[in-house]
Amino acid sequence: MWLSGGFIFRRGTSRYHKLDPRVKLLISALMFVTTLIVRSVFQLVIVLAFMVAVAAIATVLRRVARTMVLTATFSAFIFIINIVITRNLETSALYASRFVAIVVSTSLFFITTSPDELEQVMKMFRLPRDVVFAFVTAVRFIPVMMLDALQIMDAQKSRGLELEKGNFLRRIRNLVPILIPLVVNAVVRSGELAEAMESRAYGAVPRPTSLAVYRARTTDRVVAVFAVLTFAFAAYSFYFLLPTFLP
Amino acid sequence: MIEFRDVAFIHDNGVKALDRVTLKVDAGETIAIVGENGAGKTTLVKHVTGLLKPTSGMVLVDGIDTRTTSTATLSRKVGVAFQNPDHQLFSESVKEEMAFALRNFGFPPHLVEQRISWGLQLFGLEEYRESSPLVLSGGEKKRLTLACILAWDPAVVILDEPTVGQDAIQKERLAGTIRMLGSTGKTVVVVSHDIEFLWPLQPRVVVMKSGHIVADGPAAELMAKKEMLESARVAQPQLVSFYQALAKRPGSPFVDALEARRWIEGGQR
Repeated sequence: MWLSGGFIFRRGTSRYHKLDPRVKLLISALMFVTTLIVRSVFQLVIVLAFMVAVAAIATVLRRVARTMVLTATFSAFIFIINIVITRNLETSALYASRFVAIVVSTSLFFITTSPDELEQVMKMFRLPRDVVFAFVTAVRFIPVMMLDALQIMDAQKSRGLELEKGNFLRRIRNLVPILIPLVVNAVVRSGELAEAMESRAYGAVPRPTSLAVYRARTTDRVVAVFAVLTFAFAAYSFYFLLPTFLP
Repeated sequence: MIEFRDVAFIHDNGVKALDRVTLKVDAGETIAIVGENGAGKTTLVKHVTGLLKPTSGMVLVDGIDTRTTSTATLSRKVGVAFQNPDHQLFSESVKEEMAFALRNFGFPPHLVEQRISWGLQLFGLEEYRESSPLVLSGGEKKRLTLACILAWDPAVVILDEPTVGQDAIQKERLAGTIRMLGSTGKTVVVVSHDIEFLWPLQPRVVVMKSGHIVADGPAAELMAKKEMLESARVAQPQLVSFYQALAKRPGSPFVDALEARRWIEGGQR
């Protein structure tokens, strides 16, 4: 469910969805880098506020908010480990909230970019075709595997399996009847997919033509320049204007 | 045995899958649920096992309210064979696969062995006892899932699209199994698009459309209602269409599907 909310593309009609996928990648990459260069929780809150604004423009605020809430569980774990090791509240809070920001920045790209666009972007970076295909297929099959997992859980629960029963080890063992059919189905499906691709001439020519060819429009260029300038201003502010720690 | 009282179910995304469904299935009855994709058939049967809980209304199975009962408890009374057998097979051997549910339900070891032997014999799977269930053919996997369910002797058996991927002989065997279950007093619910498979079984038929029950009655009676079936995007059995066409001819000896069936079975009118 966490994956479904945070990383699976759903068609949208916002202006952000319509941007060139390279621009969306640039924005997400800049937000990602910004989360790494911030020096205090206060600065990170500003970055997160910016991300929330982008999510609002992309009309995916509810999904991003849900991702943030679900990520907070892992974030709390990071906080606890850091506080035990470093005994520094500020640093622990920074690392924990940085994790949330990293997830949100990448999630914003994946939930607004279709697998087809993702494929084009990867091809533009001249990544090997097989690598691109494998990655995009994996992304495309996440919802299918999730549906499979739900159906398998239903089938096993109907045979008396109680997933929530028992201690931690027992609960882990209870996952075996779910994981084995899931993996077997995935392997079988990958074989079928390979046959289907080969029967449709996959790999017949080294450089196949592409149906969609992306050309940046003026809007895309303006947004890209704005994103770079905002990043530059943020980086400068974080180091020279804003205080490192909360006033 | 199964009772739906004004049941509505709304998915998380706001889609209403069931709308004011009221249905009563008596013990020992064989019932077929038909309708187009998305009509709510699978959603309906998932309520019987408690996999889904009604948004409003209530579902009772042998007097037990499914809203307050776990699927594990309900599945002791209700066995479901899902459409895709690959979604449940995971054990090292066919024998272990059959033992899985029996152990979950706390059957003693000697009874587990007994039930496994009985199930494998009933479905002609004895020779695969020690084989991996994953290497069985599609038809054998389907039979194994059914054997797994019957092994714990549930009062209600639900078959979700049992004929998918089955050849004619396997379908014939499956029809025989459903008849056998009916004759042993089990309540059988078959969810299927395969009208030609259902027709010879002559079950009570429930026709669903957009989450509603649009018709409920004996197969012979409902399958003659061509317009109703078409509105629910359900095909009429070929035999019924054929005899309806014959009945339209002047001086035809055929009257309706039920009579045509009697004629076929009896060899004379």
